[in-house]
Amino acid sequence: MISSNAHSVKNAPNTALNQMGTEAFVSIRGLEKSYGPNIHVLKGLDLDMQPGDRIVVIGPSGGGKSTLLRCMMGLEEIAAGDITLGGEGYISAAPGKKGINKLNREVQKRVGMVFQHYTLFPHLTILSNLTLASVKSRGISRQEANAKAMSLLERFGLADKARAHPSQLSGGQKQRVAIARALMLSPELMLFDEVTSALDPELVNEVESVMLQLAEQKMPMMIVTHDMWFAKNIATRVVFCAGGVIVEDGTPEQVFGNPKEQRTREFLENVLHAGH
Amino acid sequence: MNYEIDFFYVLKGIDQLLEGLLVTVQLTLTSVVIGVIGGFLVCLMAMSQSRLIRLPTMAFIEVFRCTPALIQIVWIFYCVPMLFNVFLDPFVMGVLALSLNLIAFNAEAYRAAIQAIPKAHLDASIALGLTPLQTNLYVVLPQAIRLGMPVLVTNAISIFQQSALVAIVAIEDLMYMGKLLSTETYRPIETFTFVALMYFAIALPVMLLSSRLEKRYKTANS
Amino acid sequence: MTYTIDFLFLFEYWEVLLEGLMTSLQVTGLCLLLGLALGFLVSLMRVSSNKLIYSVSTVYVEFFRGTPVLIQLFWIFFCLPLILGTEISNFSSAVIALTLYMGAISSETFRASLLSIDKDQSDACVALGLDSLTKIMHVILPQAILRAVPTLLSNTVSLFKESALVSAVGMSDLMYIGQNISSVTAKPVEMLTAVAFIYFIIAFPLTRCVSLLEGKLIHKIAI
Repeated sequence: MISSNAHSVKNAPNTALNQMGTEAFVSIRGLEKSYGPNIHVLKGLDLDMQPGDRIVVIGPSGGGKSTLLRCMMGLEEIAAGDITLGGEGYISAAPGKKGINKLNREVQKRVGMVFQHYTLFPHLTILSNLTLASVKSRGISRQEANAKAMSLLERFGLADKARAHPSQLSGGQKQRVAIARALMLSPELMLFDEVTSALDPELVNEVESVMLQLAEQKMPMMIVTHDMWFAKNIATRVVFCAGGVIVEDGTPEQVFGNPKEQRTREFLENVLHAGH
Repeated sequence: MNYEIDFFYVLKGIDQLLEGLLVTVQLTLTSVVIGVIGGFLVCLMAMSQSRLIRLPTMAFIEVFRCTPALIQIVWIFYCVPMLFNVFLDPFVMGVLALSLNLIAFNAEAYRAAIQAIPKAHLDASIALGLTPLQTNLYVVLPQAIRLGMPVLVTNAISIFQQSALVAIVAIEDLMYMGKLLSTETYRPIETFTFVALMYFAIALPVMLLSSRLEKRYKTANS
Repeated sequence: MTYTIDFLFLFEYWEVLLEGLMTSLQVTGLCLLLGLALGFLVSLMRVSSNKLIYSVSTVYVEFFRGTPVLIQLFWIFFCLPLILGTEISNFSSAVIALTLYMGAISSETFRASLLSIDKDQSDACVALGLDSLTKIMHVILPQAILRAVPTLLSNTVSLFKESALVSAVGMSDLMYIGQNISSVTAKPVEMLTAVAFIYFIIAFPLTRCVSLLEGKLIHKIAI
């Protein structure tokens, strides 16, 4: 079991400071996002992440979980709200002007993301997949990048696949490569968007083991997953996101064992009956 | 530019052009009908178990797909009368050439469509006790037409364009009449532009209809 | 049968036929290069958000795909000199017409391959902090080109077949020479068959390459 460092901030005030007076690592305020005029996915979502937090986001489809992560990566234009990271302004919606957010690219580079469908570059070797961003966008020398990539691959047990192409790997291997690719850039925050949902059940374990490894190294994470057992194992906090806002927020024991909200209870009953 | 654009003479010759257009349309429609039906039959022949049928059919398809339509038209025009000692109406020879060309391309289109039919359907036919003929007629053919429709339409439009080549062997289609008119009136720009627009005016709606149909079939199947 | 077939006489004419073939190949090769470059540019215009750029490029593509190549060729050969006020050789008209044709069909190929690339790839580039230039040069373009190659090869075969049309404006390509010799010797069967055969032995292997390439590239273009 991972030692947890949980601070519950259910009644966080409208600043980036939590009850203990220390600065929140990530602060999200009033996040709103719509697709078109009728589909409001995020409706004024607030969330704080403490240093070292590993947050698992659970909730029904369409409730806004993946959209939340995508907004945090800067992949979506937000209609309203602010996101800060490490005390610095990261993303904020421009008031009045439609669609063009203020995005701090330097902060964006400190966030890494892994997607449900791996999204590796199919025409490049595994090694090139890992080193492309370092060499081309971070100005790191090819030798250094290769060395770092190989050591990551060895850690994940994939060193022999360095020269292979993604199409030659299994889903679990591809996802581990995708995680390694994000780690190459030494992110301060890792986002995992349903990374095991597309995998055959027997391959889920190898990916979750890698994520648990990262957790042991205290990597801050925000994870969207349907795997409740895994959530209990890795999370320092669990948030239930439904209807575009955070409905419940607490430690895994609190949220899974004794949910305060009716909606949370209903959701967990449905999921836990179907799952493990 | 010492040339003054003047459509007057073109419009005077509109009758000629319309006669030519009629020939073009007749050529195209006849060839398309033969090509759609013949293409399916030839496709079945190309998938036959018997080598005696399959190999010559495949050779036919490859020859007509890998040689210019122009040489096919010219060959039929000059060689068929000589070889077989027959006199055929030029229009018939034009249809012959265009049909054979279209049959070859359509056979390929049907082949791709048939290969796209889920094997489960064929299994079901066997399970239901249908004879090969019934399977082909009631299961394969409708599906092949549905899946192959976009390509079949594209091929038909293509034959419509290729039909202009028969002007080179002096069949009096739209292209031929256009060229004739351009020399008679000394107004190539207006004539050729007008003729091009006539071809375009017929092809464009069909092309648009085809892409709309394609989208409908795609969403219907997803 | 009143026609006696005699293929032997063909060997007398092999040099002339070869010259014609060379002309056909030169025209095809030149128009291939120019047409691909044009097609690539046009495909970029076709995915542009600028309405004017999109409209102009779309009209060009639809027009050249929706009219017979023969009329395009005739128009350029007969009308362009009048508009520009100078003479244009049949070689130049042929090259211009076939380049415009190849540009139109290859632009569709490029456009389809660009659009077939998953939006996810763009997401991954954002997540990795890749700058636009790297993203285009190292992620999007390589995939687009790889995906386009098999269809481009088919487009090339089409171009080669359409090149036979340049005989209609008097260029001494393979078709023209074949027709000439047929009428001079009154032996169309042998000569035209030989010409058809020559076109075939060049086009057929290329079409076989298309399926081969698709198989080989699938490991690089599959996810």
